[in-house]
Amino acid sequence: MKEIQRVSPVVLKGTPVKTEKRDNWDVVLEYSGETEGPVIVDLSHKPRFDLQDGNVGEKKPFGFDLPQTPGQSVFEKGILANRMNGTQVSLYNLAGGEDTPDDPGITDVTEATLFIALIGKEVFSICEKLSALDFEDPNREVPFLFQGPFSHVPCQIVTLCKDGDNSGVVLTCSRGYGRDMIHSILDAGKEFGLAPAGENRFSDWIKSL
Amino acid sequence: MALTITCPICGKRNGYEFRYGGEEKGPRPDEAGLTPEAWCDYVHMNNCVAGVQEEWWFHKDGCGSWFKIHRDTTTNLEIEQTEATE
Repeated sequence: MKEIQRVSPVVLKGTPVKTEKRDNWDVVLEYSGETEGPVIVDLSHKPRFDLQDGNVGEKKPFGFDLPQTPGQSVFEKGILANRMNGTQVSLYNLAGGEDTPDDPGITDVTEATLFIALIGKEVFSICEKLSALDFEDPNREVPFLFQGPFSHVPCQIVTLCKDGDNSGVVLTCSRGYGRDMIHSILDAGKEFGLAPAGENRFSDWIKSL
Repeated sequence: MALTITCPICGKRNGYEFRYGGEEKGPRPDEAGLTPEAWCDYVHMNNCVAGVQEEWWFHKDGCGSWFKIHRDTTTNLEIEQTEATE
């Protein structure tokens, strides 16, 4: 049988200098001339799951307690768990490499959505051009989840850090919006020098949190 | 922004994030002995209150919740008696 080829919905203009094939995805590890300024990183190859259950708060699909309050997130063991409502949790495997948990309430949504990270000091200035939501909300402790429109598209946005140069969010939405979403983010970020970066940049950043 | 709506999960948001779900009409009528006319009235007939009415909304661009709010239809403003604040 032929090997499947998984294709990211995100296309970033840049010259990859380091790539690797992982689980049938072409993953860019580094782009040529990556800058210190704000960056956008395609993470669409990272496994993502949707967990639904009437008692979702008692589930431990990755061995740790899930957040109990909608809007709360927990980042543990490389997994970002976001409580969406009374019965649903979204799970992003930022570390990668783990199999789908054996739970009938889990759906793998990796190939149904796009997934990007925006990292850098000016990230929230870029975000406020595209959404009325306050991703820097001083009353909330990171990480926290917003579900709402970003560039008019229903998205899940998680603020992972709001400390100056280390600031960053991850964003996911339906895969069909990929091209236009990236276009609008890059356009909004032009004045701040937003540029593509490879997965290595994201991995270094996530380790620093 | 003409209307803001308070979602019990996400808090106060722009009204454009929501879809209107109709007036609150109470529980679904018992099917035993239900006439087509009574069912038609339940489904299609509205009170169209000029004033405060209880109504359903769906947070389509957010958390996906269905919930009820009270809204003054003459001013198009939500009044402080929502599921989120009750």
